[in-house]
Amino acid sequence: MKKLTKWIADGTPWVWLNAAAVSASILLVVGLLILIGARGMGHFWPLPVTKIIYQQADESQVMLAGQIREQEQITARRLRESGVEVAQGSEHVRRYLLKVGNRDINGEDFRWLLEPSIISTSKPYSMVVFERQEWGVFIGLLIGVREDGKLLESADVWGEFQRNLGRVNQLRDEIEDLEKGSIGGVNYRLERLRLKQRGLEMDGSDTVQALAGIASERDELQQEYVRLEGQLGNLYSQLQRDAVVVTTASGRELELPMATIVDAYRPNQMDLADKIGYFFHNAWKFVADDPREANTEGGIFPAIFGTVLMVLLMSVFVTPLGVVAAVYLKEYAHQGLFTRFIRIAVNNLAGVPSIVYGVFGLGFFVYTLGGSIDQLFFREALPAPTFGTGGLFWAALTMALLTLPVVIVSTEEGLSRIPRSIREGSLALGATKWETLWRTVLPMASPGIMTGLILAVARAAGEVAPLMLVGVVKLAPALPLDANAPFLHLERKFMHLGFHIYDVGFQSPNVEAARPLVYATALLLVIVIVLLNLVAIQVRNRLSERYRGLET
Amino acid sequence: MTNQTPLEFNKSGAEQPTPASAGEAPGHNFAGQQVAVSVNNLNLYYGATQALHDVSLRIPEKQVTAFIGPSGCGKSTLLRCFNRLNDLIDICRIDGEILLNGRDIYADGVEVAELRREVGIVFQKPNPFPKSIYENVAYGLRIQGMNKRRQLDETVEWALRGAALWDEVRERLHDSAFGLSGGQQQRLVIARAIAVQPKFILLDEPCSALDPISTLKVEELINELKSQYTIIMVTHNMQQAARVSDYTAFMYMGELIEFGDTDQVFTKPRLKKTEDYITGRYG
Ligand SMILES: Nc1ncnc2c1ncn2[C@@H]1O[C@H](COP(=O)(O)OP(=O)(O)O)[C@@H](O)[C@H]1O
Ligand SMILES: [Mg+2]
Repeated sequence: MKKLTKWIADGTPWVWLNAAAVSASILLVVGLLILIGARGMGHFWPLPVTKIIYQQADESQVMLAGQIREQEQITARRLRESGVEVAQGSEHVRRYLLKVGNRDINGEDFRWLLEPSIISTSKPYSMVVFERQEWGVFIGLLIGVREDGKLLESADVWGEFQRNLGRVNQLRDEIEDLEKGSIGGVNYRLERLRLKQRGLEMDGSDTVQALAGIASERDELQQEYVRLEGQLGNLYSQLQRDAVVVTTASGRELELPMATIVDAYRPNQMDLADKIGYFFHNAWKFVADDPREANTEGGIFPAIFGTVLMVLLMSVFVTPLGVVAAVYLKEYAHQGLFTRFIRIAVNNLAGVPSIVYGVFGLGFFVYTLGGSIDQLFFREALPAPTFGTGGLFWAALTMALLTLPVVIVSTEEGLSRIPRSIREGSLALGATKWETLWRTVLPMASPGIMTGLILAVARAAGEVAPLMLVGVVKLAPALPLDANAPFLHLERKFMHLGFHIYDVGFQSPNVEAARPLVYATALLLVIVIVLLNLVAIQVRNRLSERYRGLET
Repeated sequence: MTNQTPLEFNKSGAEQPTPASAGEAPGHNFAGQQVAVSVNNLNLYYGATQALHDVSLRIPEKQVTAFIGPSGCGKSTLLRCFNRLNDLIDICRIDGEILLNGRDIYADGVEVAELRREVGIVFQKPNPFPKSIYENVAYGLRIQGMNKRRQLDETVEWALRGAALWDEVRERLHDSAFGLSGGQQQRLVIARAIAVQPKFILLDEPCSALDPISTLKVEELINELKSQYTIIMVTHNMQQAARVSDYTAFMYMGELIEFGDTDQVFTKPRLKKTEDYITGRYG
């Protein structure tokens, strides 16, 4: 008894309780990362193709081929209730989720298979998985390559196909360069010209001379456009030239135009090294490519780009604003009731739900400010809004507002950590308060400012709800940064990883296909945030190192 | 250490005309010596508590004057009045008069930054800026708008030599000041103060955080500096006051109890309180 009281008085139970709480938290975080990591990475792994003879409910047999994505045990009762016949005596039944692809033929690309109905399985050596521009993957056998309408007589069909795929991919690159580069530039300039003319007309300064100048310029651009279009048409017809002949698992033969094929692999022939290579190839494509098929296929480069750019812009807005506010509050404002009130208000601002900031951003920034900017500077484009609609600029500004409290609070903390002796040392040398702030105090508070920025970045990169109101879209036609002056297009809408997850996971018609993408995108979002943070932490550590010795 | 000043302290307490005598400061008159600081009826309050009670004293030019007294008696507070560092404390309020070289430093229209340039201060704990040794010394110069490389180099060297630090740091001027030892840091801070060529140097227990050898170096430095600067120094250490200073002021509970020639204060204190303190009966 005495021992127990002593044990409690020691505080040992509290230590244990704390340790348990810490372990639980760490376990949860690690578990989360492992789940996202495993599922996200799994998306890139080339799964083998299994060929299955399957007995359907009506006793007929079908030949299926696909990749087993998932398996689970379900109770026989549940199956019986949903009208499936299951042999007596079995409590549980295993079922598999098979990705069969070929959505254009089958109607759907996933099938649940019950284990008792599987008659036989095999992994034929030559099964091919084709990734296509649309309709998802095609899984089947490669029979031949048809070049310019003629079937190639070659023993090495796969080699021919690979050569052809290289050519097609190169053509596609050229087409993309042409469309996004030159043609995009011409379109951009044509639009600018149109707006210029509109502007002149509205000002009433549309003299014959001015109009003639514009017309001649437009003619030039249009000629250029026609020339480029000719080139483009040429490239497209080259792209359409070839096709491959394939058969499905059930033996149906059909032709796939080469132009629709993005990539192909034969998973059953790959050894571990091949698979690892293909894994990284896939992961890279995911990071570097544009999305396809309503975001359920392809990469997410624009979303990564949008997220990072938005966060950087936000940092550019929030840092000076937060620092100036904190300096005023801490150094200049009279430390009275009013200042205390403001400080409490700022702290509470951090707790306002983010969607409220979104609503504010939409109501004030986009409609009021953006509307006025359009009235003043972009009248010629009206009624189409320029800044009067969501865009990168407003999104970054809204996020800056959202993260302002963190920056203010950390900066104030950083300022109050500076020993009085340092300030007095500077003042005693004849520096004014401002000089002291600028030359000594602010540099020394910079690690605190960076801490605020780190928190701000972490919060801003993960926030989705307000962004949906002020500029994030499912699919942005162009990146906000390109080769057309003024290069950074702040008014453009952009894509964002967080919104992408929401969109792919919950707005997509093809849930099964989208699920791995959700994990992969979530993993990438985490990685992007970690990277942004690492950069900021690195900067902060440099600064702390420089101003170390404060603690003594 | 003996007192080398050719001064004669007026023990009678009778008023004698002195070149810069202003106001009534009982008992403190110097013959043939300029008065550099003259404090008249100074009261200082931190909020509701009074930290200095009707302090009046005169400090001679180009001499070392020490403030001694038990801790909390207001030595630092008084010292910080001379460069108006107390202005930074919101609750601090002052009445009375302080004249530096005859100029009322609390008068309207006094440029505080300019005043502080003339009155350097060194604190108990060395407070170098988180910059290089060179930039620490150049700090005040840059504030004054000096930015020619050569002029800066020369002044920095001059100040470091003045603080007896040059030989120790000439090889690593651009290293961080935090790499210096405590004693070196303290001399760096002194160099930083003299770089802007002040007339006064205030030292607030400059050696209490230093080891004996560094203390000795700083004391030697003080001895050298007094030919050019009026030095006022707070110290906790009676031996140090006796060794270094020419004049000593004894304070107790916010009041100036006794002021006089160091030899006299230590050997023949006029008041019982002073004697008690010096002989270690309290403090
Ligand atoms: N910033 C301040 N605010 C309020 N009271 C102070 C402040 N600084 C000093 N005091 C008070 O003034 C008195 C004198 O302090 P100080 O001048 O630092 O003494 P000393 O330097 O002689 O040890 C002490 O009672 C101290 O508590
Ligand atoms: Mg003190």
